Amino acid sequence: MSTKEVRSPGFLGDLGISRAVAIATVIVLALALQSTLLVKLTLLGVIPELVLVVVVSLGYLDGERVGTASGFFGGLMLDLLLPQSIIGLTALVYTLVGYGVGTMRQFTQGESVWTPVLAVALASAVAQVSYALLAIILGQPWVSIAFTMKVIGLVVLYNTLLTPFVFPLVRRVADRFRPERVYRW
Amino acid sequence: MYRRAGRGRIVLLVFLALSIVVITLDFRQTTDVLDRAKDVSNAIVTPIQRGIATVFRPVGNFFSSLSELSNLRGDNAAMRNRIEEMQAEITQAESLLDENSRLRGFLELDESYATMDRLTAAVIARPPSNYKWAVEIDKGSSDGIAEDMAVIDPKGLVGKIIRVQRNTSTVLLLIDPTGGARARIEGEEWTGAVRGNGSDQALSLEFVDTEADVSLGDHVVTSAYNRGIFPPNIPIGRVSNVGGQQADTEQDIDIEPWVDFTSLDFVQVILDTGKTPK
Repeated sequence: MSTKEVRSPGFLGDLGISRAVAIATVIVLALALQSTLLVKLTLLGVIPELVLVVVVSLGYLDGERVGTASGFFGGLMLDLLLPQSIIGLTALVYTLVGYGVGTMRQFTQGESVWTPVLAVALASAVAQVSYALLAIILGQPWVSIAFTMKVIGLVVLYNTLLTPFVFPLVRRVADRFRPERVYRW
Repeated sequence: MYRRAGRGRIVLLVFLALSIVVITLDFRQTTDVLDRAKDVSNAIVTPIQRGIATVFRPVGNFFSSLSELSNLRGDNAAMRNRIEEMQAEITQAESLLDENSRLRGFLELDESYATMDRLTAAVIARPPSNYKWAVEIDKGSSDGIAEDMAVIDPKGLVGKIIRVQRNTSTVLLLIDPTGGARARIEGEEWTGAVRGNGSDQALSLEFVDTEADVSLGDHVVTSAYNRGIFPPNIPIGRVSNVGGQQADTEQDIDIEPWVDFTSLDFVQVILDTGKTPK
């Protein structure tokens, strides 16, 4: 999919080709890791949402436009890898979350190590709950509420635990390819 | 300007609209576009997945082999014994198979799933989601696999093939809520439907008449009756709970599956659909 190259650079801010490719690479790598290594490294049977952690990190570092775009493409690619699920639903949820995180970060004060961790925890909870709700509303056969609650709790925990490792890596890529280095939050 | 609220909102609206378009396409089953998109995204991710899998497999093996080293000698001797026993059993089974097919020919019975052609495949991946129970296997259309074929392991029914590519296919597991199978209790006439409830949860047996006599421990097998897609008599599990007459016309029955869905490494695809006799 020639995703980001075709769009005009102005639309998403200063999104040059090399930056778009770098961000796309990070997302695809996260997706591949999530579907290989992490499906084996489960926490009580639950796999983390690495793609979401990356989307939140990108939104947090680069603002709502990058967050929105990476949320959409990360979510869509995830949807396309899943059998028998509603294609576009994860894309919808991640788009909103990427935008939300990007918009919220202007209200965070200073540069605390904990802010991205907190952002991921909150975003994971919102994403998990909205995905389950939307899937049920759209008529997807679903598991029991108790099971869903257990999964949501564990995913939020696991995503949060991953953030201290993932966020610095994403920040490196984001910093490296950001055209102007003035906006460090 | 980097941060202008208006721009950000436009970007949001554009991608929200795109998401909704995709969801609509999916619901309308105009799957041509989405199928192609699926192929493309698979083509991008699969090679990276393979790479990562090859890099990390030896690491896992190294640690597990360290801990198992001490047991190896004993295991080895036990295995040798078992092999000799099995060889004897195989000879016996072959003569029984022979007899079975001759008798079957006389009686004009349908072929049993146990003697149908099957293909062993290795599990190579799982979907990266907590609400999807499926596995990717390393055999595809080039090996003769087609949609809706039954997938089993030595203990019983695993699921069915839902998507086939050239060298891989996707198996929807029985425990997925969108999966399921026509089923009946061994030795009984009526049929019901088995539905999954996710991992570690019992399967539900639905649409069973209140008249039917179901008791704990009864064995549940697949049924080909009433549009069942699986060959009949594949073991599914045993009844672990009978919830009385909850609804007016149906019983609420839990089934504990035979197959351990958390540790699937190899599965077998039954190449017969059970519909067309060979």
